[in-house]
Amino acid sequence: MSEASQTHEFQYSNAHHQAETAISGMWLFLATEVLFFGALFLTWIYSRHWNQAGFDAGAQQTELAIGTINTVILVVSSFAYSAGVAFIETGNGRRLIQCCAAAWLLGVAFLILKFGIEWRDDFAKHLFPGTGFALHGPLSGGAQIFFVFYFLGTALHGLHMIGGLALVGWIILRASRGEFSPAFYTPVVVVGLYWSFVDMVWIVLYPMIYLVGRGP
Amino acid sequence: MTQRFRLLWLTLALLLVLLAIEFGASFLPLGRSARPLVLIPAVLMVGVVGTSFMEVGRGPEIIRLFAVAALLWLSFLLGLGSLDALTRIEYPVQAANPR
Repeated sequence: MSEASQTHEFQYSNAHHQAETAISGMWLFLATEVLFFGALFLTWIYSRHWNQAGFDAGAQQTELAIGTINTVILVVSSFAYSAGVAFIETGNGRRLIQCCAAAWLLGVAFLILKFGIEWRDDFAKHLFPGTGFALHGPLSGGAQIFFVFYFLGTALHGLHMIGGLALVGWIILRASRGEFSPAFYTPVVVVGLYWSFVDMVWIVLYPMIYLVGRGP
Repeated sequence: MTQRFRLLWLTLALLLVLLAIEFGASFLPLGRSARPLVLIPAVLMVGVVGTSFMEVGRGPEIIRLFAVAALLWLSFLLGLGSLDALTRIEYPVQAANPR
């Protein structure tokens, strides 16, 4: 946790109090986000239960390689950012910038793979639910419900990624101005919590989309 | 290398191992209803990210209260929300005889 900065806003008793409030506030926000994504996960449980064969038929149309590579990318990105936090704790601002830049670039790579390649292929294969859907027959209904979940889930996660990239970029900008030190780096910690949470959401979405419906 | 960096590297290795287990488990011949068990490594990965990258064990007590509250309400949401679907008994419907 960050040490106290030299200054604090008037409503806090000291700088340490201000830092703890910021970090606690982010945790509270993330608790609400858990419920936000929890509703999405519930739709998966409920819809798959009643349409298992159709759901699995839909899941088998997804790009397993891209999904798996993206999972590795996000895990490494979260690791890189956490290493940046550890570096600024030791006063190494240059390493913080490098780690955040690595995390940011990996995040961009995720979005390019997800929306630039995978979504484009999905649309080309007519996997968007509605008239002209690629799968026909009795499994078509369940498969279309799967792809509603797929497009909605990945879009919501993608929006969170874009927000996270903006925040990580903001940290890089501030770090390049030399605003962080072992005495003050609370914003680095707060943004790191959000970035790791976005990683967490994908860790859960990945098996729901790509893995559960596969297999012999 | 300090203790903190060593822990981060170990965390990364553990996450990749769990991911590999999850990936491999998805090819096991599980029944369709048992296939959500593939999510178990993902749940473990979430716990690893929370404890290591997010350092839930560090800082003020209230962040652990928020984390536990989030899990508690999520369990209510998923548990109560899926209770009907997972426990309903489906009886076969007899086709009506055409007159």
